[in-house]
Amino acid sequence: MTTINAYGPPGRLTDLDDVGTKAWHVFINDSVDQAIAGPDPAEVLHDSPRPQFYNLTRTDTATDAVQSAVTWTAFPNRLRSAVSDRQRWQRADASRDVQDEYCEWSVTRDGTGRITRVTFTCEGPEYWDVLAQTSPEKALDLYRAHIDPAVRKSDLFGPNGRYVRRNQWNDSTTQGAMHLIQQSNTLGAEIELAAAATIRRVIGGRELTGAQELIACGKYGVPDRNSDPHIGEVVNAVARQKADIALSDPVGIYFDDLATDGWSAPDGSDPKSFWTVERGAADFPVRAVYEVPADRDFAVGDITIGGRPIEFGAQIADFVTVKLMATACRLGRSEVQPRTSCVELAAGDDVEPGAFSPAAFSAHGYLGTHPDQASRSTRLVA
Amino acid sequence: MSLWDRTPERRRATAWPEAAATAAAEPAAGPAAGPAAGPADEGGGLRPRTLYRGVSGVDRGPVPMPAGQSDGLRDPMARVFFQRDHWPMTLEEVLDGLTRAGELPTQSVYLISEAGQIPPDETPGLRRDLRFAVSRAAPGKDPDLLVSSDPGSVFLQVAAWDPVAQVFNYYMRISPAWVWTGDSWSSMAPESRGKGCFDSHVNGSVVMKELKQPWSNWQSMSATIQLAPDDPLRDNPLHGQVIGAERLELTVKGLVSRWTAARLSAVVDDGMVTHPDHLLRQLFTTTTVNLASTSTQSATVASGGRDLSLPLGFWLNADALLNDLGLPVSTATVPSAPTSLYADSLQALGFRLEEQVSDFSQPGDTFFAFVVPEAAYEDNDVVRQLVEKNLVPAGFAACALMVDFTNPVFSPVRAHLMRYVPTAPVPVSTWCDDIAAAVAAAARTLPADSPEAEFARNWALPEADWRGVFAQRVDVYLEKVAARLRTASGFDEFTRLAESRRRMFKEMRLNEFALTLPTTDIPADAPRLRMHEDGTVAVVTTGGSP
Repeated sequence: MTTINAYGPPGRLTDLDDVGTKAWHVFINDSVDQAIAGPDPAEVLHDSPRPQFYNLTRTDTATDAVQSAVTWTAFPNRLRSAVSDRQRWQRADASRDVQDEYCEWSVTRDGTGRITRVTFTCEGPEYWDVLAQTSPEKALDLYRAHIDPAVRKSDLFGPNGRYVRRNQWNDSTTQGAMHLIQQSNTLGAEIELAAAATIRRVIGGRELTGAQELIACGKYGVPDRNSDPHIGEVVNAVARQKADIALSDPVGIYFDDLATDGWSAPDGSDPKSFWTVERGAADFPVRAVYEVPADRDFAVGDITIGGRPIEFGAQIADFVTVKLMATACRLGRSEVQPRTSCVELAAGDDVEPGAFSPAAFSAHGYLGTHPDQASRSTRLVA
Repeated sequence: MSLWDRTPERRRATAWPEAAATAAAEPAAGPAAGPAAGPADEGGGLRPRTLYRGVSGVDRGPVPMPAGQSDGLRDPMARVFFQRDHWPMTLEEVLDGLTRAGELPTQSVYLISEAGQIPPDETPGLRRDLRFAVSRAAPGKDPDLLVSSDPGSVFLQVAAWDPVAQVFNYYMRISPAWVWTGDSWSSMAPESRGKGCFDSHVNGSVVMKELKQPWSNWQSMSATIQLAPDDPLRDNPLHGQVIGAERLELTVKGLVSRWTAARLSAVVDDGMVTHPDHLLRQLFTTTTVNLASTSTQSATVASGGRDLSLPLGFWLNADALLNDLGLPVSTATVPSAPTSLYADSLQALGFRLEEQVSDFSQPGDTFFAFVVPEAAYEDNDVVRQLVEKNLVPAGFAACALMVDFTNPVFSPVRAHLMRYVPTAPVPVSTWCDDIAAAVAAAARTLPADSPEAEFARNWALPEADWRGVFAQRVDVYLEKVAARLRTASGFDEFTRLAESRRRMFKEMRLNEFALTLPTTDIPADAPRLRMHEDGTVAVVTTGGSP
């Protein structure tokens, strides 16, 4: 039976100073507490509290604890309605705003248009808020190291000194990707939906088990993502085993793997060898680059996947999986009863993605973070 | 009945009449049940510690494999086990044996069950038939070995890549021995084609029927297989390793392409293509299929909900025409239907899931809505690589696929053109031109709506024009079906067309499990249907695929 003293930085990154490290713990700690409490029951019905979700710093993790990864594909599911691969790859490479699977990427090409490098990130924006506010010079150094040496401090911070997540060096699919900026891609969203999904739902006498029926009833995310319904389904399946559930420390989104089945490099070398983790501990990678070393006489665009040259970063994203880590314990011991209703607004309107009700939901803000940048549950996407 | 069909040590194929009868007579073995007992060959029990060969259609029964043949096997199953006198009898023994030998350390475990989304507590009499698929690979390499088994190792089958012979070898355990049931080339040989394990491994490569998202019946990021709280599988270490089928899709595609590449290297020799008919039947006919579906859970479809996007492979062979051959279509999204029409169709046509051997019936569609057969990845991969290796001009492949393109599977019209494909070796440099010329010559004396005439019109297009012309035809067609899909009459026709194709699939040996597809009130002997380019559906009036 143990608790942890504090939540650590995502990926076990070491960028933060003492103040930043403590601030990060506070952010995660508060976010978890607010997710356990859930929205104000006077305004949102049947969604609070979430007693099977727990805070690793306040509640013991029992000796029967098991840790599991929940994984999903990085390519945005919402773009699969395209009629051809080329269409969906073009759309995914066109804007970070459609890269909504907690993974975003940026593509670098040479003068002929051939891809030379694709950068993938799954770093939550909240971490960068904390880093930039507590160690602005460190944030600048990292931008210069990973994006471009020409980055200036004024490029990253507004006139009021506040860090700008979607700055000129982190708002495109061509000029670099330092951290997640897509509106739904926040750690706050991850925490909120994991907590909300612990609520079991028995509707009409039948316990809901499917990913889509659960997210439709619990309204904890965006149904047409790969990630949200899957996370909710897996978490809820554990909840149905009458377990308590937490997001493992360090809380974050991580790269799970790059599969290279059917890939071929011109020189016969292992295509996976060109995947390099740039940030994050070995088990918790948060930034990776796909790039062929300069001493080879070919580039990423010369590698083929299923016989087709890599022309889009999205082709690689088809093979990237991302994950979160969850901990379950006290299996079979929870006495929390299922709810017999779906989530709804007290006013009578159904809660839909896009129905942002700031008064009803926790904003998970931190350190005076500007409200526009506060982490939101994906259900709150405008 | 062949050895393959007769042995009790195989999957419980509830969709096969003879197997279903056997399955019904078996005791309801739980997941922990041991291997079924009883002699598997005509002469009685097999000898332990022996590798037999038993290729359906070739060998009259399992016979000990001659040393000269067994010594030549270079796949990991032969090297690690049989040639070292090791004889694993369970899935775990296979996996542990590989690990102890330091072979193929990278392991991935997958889980499938056609009953996996049916609540176990509501259907205690329904057998779950859970199966593992396990891949093993060298670090940084694609897998060289795939194992299919159930948690109790009642059946145990292996596909293992031989890097020297460049084939998959197929093995099955028939206690207390192992039987080599053929290699990839056995699928091509007339005497064994479609028999034994090659009723599923139709063209010699590994198979994953539900290859695309949402990977129906597999555990995946789209759906988690449900287990009862006390299911012993929860304590099975392999179950704890199960990952999503989205990963297996990538593996299977890679392995299919590996075999295709090896096969094409072998059949083109000194400027000649041997068995051109073996290659082009994968262009003109439906040698096998994959199963596609919407990604929508059928039970969540309610009137007024978001539109239902039907699988693109239902409308045309988009993988080949749009992705591999690159037709520049302008259509932006897959046709979709109002959910009310789908919900109404389930009621009107009596959709239900049935497994007669378990006396199970449940109203509604499969877990993911609208499962239909679509053009097989392994057929398309042959076409793609033929084009990529300049063995077939892209225009020739496109002209062929655009014949009756609105019927991407089971098209007797396209299959009709196989009569112009030679069976004897032909020169690589001219074979497609020769075939096209023969078709065009025949077309001159045939009606304008004949398959020959349609191909000839396609073939007559200038090289610079065919992509644009074909793309425009596809766009016009998709616009028409998208409009009809939003009408009650149109949706009804398309539903009946889908059911017609499902019935065709049900006639294939690939259809092993009764719960793979829904049952409806449409009679089993209803006329086969086909789609026209104007988006209307009509009865098929000509023969079937060879």
